[in-house]
Amino acid sequence: MSRLSVAFEADEIARYLPHRYPFLLLDRVVDVEPGERAVAIKNISGSDPVFAGHFPDRKIYPGVLLVECVAQAAAIVYGTEAERQATSNGGSGDPATRVGYLAEIRQAKFLRPVTPGDQLVIEVLSGQRLGPMISVTGSITVGAERVLTVRLAVTTRTPEQDVKE
Amino acid sequence: MDVTETRARVERRQSLNRQVKELLVDRLDLAVDPKFISDDQPMFGRGLELDSIDTLEIAVAVQEEFDVMLTDDDTESLLSVNRLCDHVEAQVEADE
Repeated sequence: MSRLSVAFEADEIARYLPHRYPFLLLDRVVDVEPGERAVAIKNISGSDPVFAGHFPDRKIYPGVLLVECVAQAAAIVYGTEAERQATSNGGSGDPATRVGYLAEIRQAKFLRPVTPGDQLVIEVLSGQRLGPMISVTGSITVGAERVLTVRLAVTTRTPEQDVKE
Repeated sequence: MDVTETRARVERRQSLNRQVKELLVDRLDLAVDPKFISDDQPMFGRGLELDSIDTLEIAVAVQEEFDVMLTDDDTESLLSVNRLCDHVEAQVEADE
């Protein structure tokens, strides 16, 4: 598939994801191949409210939120694909409504702690699909260091599901 | 097909079934010895008690191990080890 020539700034990411503050985690999408892969960036700031409690004297960005970053980048991969399909079918549709559920977290490895000042480069690669489920491989690096590797199963929502619900 | 050929074929199939059972136990972290999974035991519900999320992992595992794709049209191949091996065998033969 062809690559999108334009990356997404934060405001545009909000068009593809239903998440909002404080849970819209991605800052920028630097590369997307709809339905195939995406690369996103998140800057970790000491002013992030999560650090008030995790932990008061030792700021570590929660590993579960790193996994969520990968899930949100996966949603960008499928949101852009859904939008492209809707456009080619003559419709428009809101891509954020196509975001489904996180179905499984496999083999998550947290290779080193993430702290304020780190810039996360989040890469997701789409894999096998079966029914509404898609296997996703994700990794996050800070500089040259890998901080997370994980495999997820995510689901997408179809327009038919909206009718049923 | 003579007896030797038939025997070789049966052995190949038994070996494939063993390999698939070991793959299932390994990839799905099943708390069961592969030797105790029977060839026609249902994989879902009672039986191996797999769930719908496991089907995706089986598809990933089969693709990596045998370079065989499972698609939405092949879900009947997930009913038992034998059905899954039928699918793998058919696809591998089709590729040869």
